[in-house]
Amino acid sequence: MLGRFDYERPTSLAEAARLLTECGSSAAVLAGGTDLLVDLRAGRRIVRLLVGVKRIDALRRLDVDSAGELTIGAAVPLNEMIERAAIRRTHPGLVQAAESIATYQLRNRATAVGNLCNASPAADMAPILLALGACLIAWSPRGERTIPLSSLFVGVKKTCLAPDEIATELRVPAPEPGLRSRFLKQQRLRGHDLAVSSAAGTYAPSTGVLRLAVGSCAPTPLLLEPIEVGRSSRAAVEEKAVRAVQVAMRPISDTRASADYRRAVLPVLVKRLVADLLAEGGAP
Amino acid sequence: MPSELTLLEFLRNRLYLTGTKEGCGIGECGACTVLLDEKPVTACLVLAVEVDGCIVETVEGEATGGQLSVLQRAFVETGAVQCGFCTPGMIMSARGLLRRNPNPSDEEIVEAMAGNLCRCTGYEAILAAVRRAAAAVRPAVGPLAGEVGLADGRSLRGAVPKRDPEKGGRR
Repeated sequence: MLGRFDYERPTSLAEAARLLTECGSSAAVLAGGTDLLVDLRAGRRIVRLLVGVKRIDALRRLDVDSAGELTIGAAVPLNEMIERAAIRRTHPGLVQAAESIATYQLRNRATAVGNLCNASPAADMAPILLALGACLIAWSPRGERTIPLSSLFVGVKKTCLAPDEIATELRVPAPEPGLRSRFLKQQRLRGHDLAVSSAAGTYAPSTGVLRLAVGSCAPTPLLLEPIEVGRSSRAAVEEKAVRAVQVAMRPISDTRASADYRRAVLPVLVKRLVADLLAEGGAP
Repeated sequence: MPSELTLLEFLRNRLYLTGTKEGCGIGECGACTVLLDEKPVTACLVLAVEVDGCIVETVEGEATGGQLSVLQRAFVETGAVQCGFCTPGMIMSARGLLRRNPNPSDEEIVEAMAGNLCRCTGYEAILAAVRRAAAAVRPAVGPLAGEVGLADGRSLRGAVPKRDPEKGGRR
């Protein structure tokens, strides 16, 4: 049903990279497998080797260093991230995005890094991580590469990762003091559904900078230009944000929604997001 | 064992443990939910080879000595079983929930069960069953006694010592 393939479960990155290099494009990394196995079953992907990476210790890191930088290993299931109280406190938007994905059972397997590497235009982890300025670390026999998320997505389900590169972890910079973060996702129903439209943002009262990113409205998730809030009224900032989104978005009609619907809904999400982020005395 | 065999296929076709059902095969319906190292997962999206060294629990482990568990009996008592196809997956999601959170709020129950679809019941009886099971194994607070489920499926009905709020304990 999934095709015919071999499975290896290396315990080191070097071994994983060796296996991937040997097999080339007919090998794939298996972390959570919640996108990959569905694709294999549908025949959208064909592989000869799956390289399971969940036993590689280096990919299981989930920690916050003393400066507040967050590291999320590639093999860390979403639920593990969601259940870390410290992350919910400092990066609530990140937890909101993770909680919106699929179902509890799938979140015990699916990973944030996997969500990004699958590179769906509707990837739920993308907008908030873009707004947070996160980077993806990729490892190959040639060395380690730090990829800003804004450079990761190059097309529908396409990343800039080389065939022998393994994404090892996400690094989220230490948040500015009092940083607020939010994620909003428009779905057809409550529960397991892909995003019809999505928007994420961060606002740092200490710097007055608003960062917005949107999903499910273009071939890739989009990071918008930061907005200096300054002394502008909330209405003015909302208008600026909405105009920026309307210029940037290139929605399509698909099974979940029409392009017109997306053009109507995304600005509403963005307005709500801005209002929430700028609210006086707002919590992180 | 072929690498491409899913855990679901392995359970049903190799071990003949057919309690775990296939509803969609793509992780969206929850009918194939099992516990993998105590965590609810959809077996259709796990490869059998991946569970080497792990503990897998299926619905066949719920009843002991031919007696339904408190959780299973709650499903029966609230009318949470109609065609029964979603039931094993519902039971395993509920089992996973009650293990990690023996005193879940209504919202926590909904969140834990939201990955299991049912075409028959409209869900209310299922949620009531999970609430009932949680309450049954929780010591009673106050004058009314709870029904305490025993491991062999029998139950004790009677006065249970009041929990002293000063001494802490679950709400």
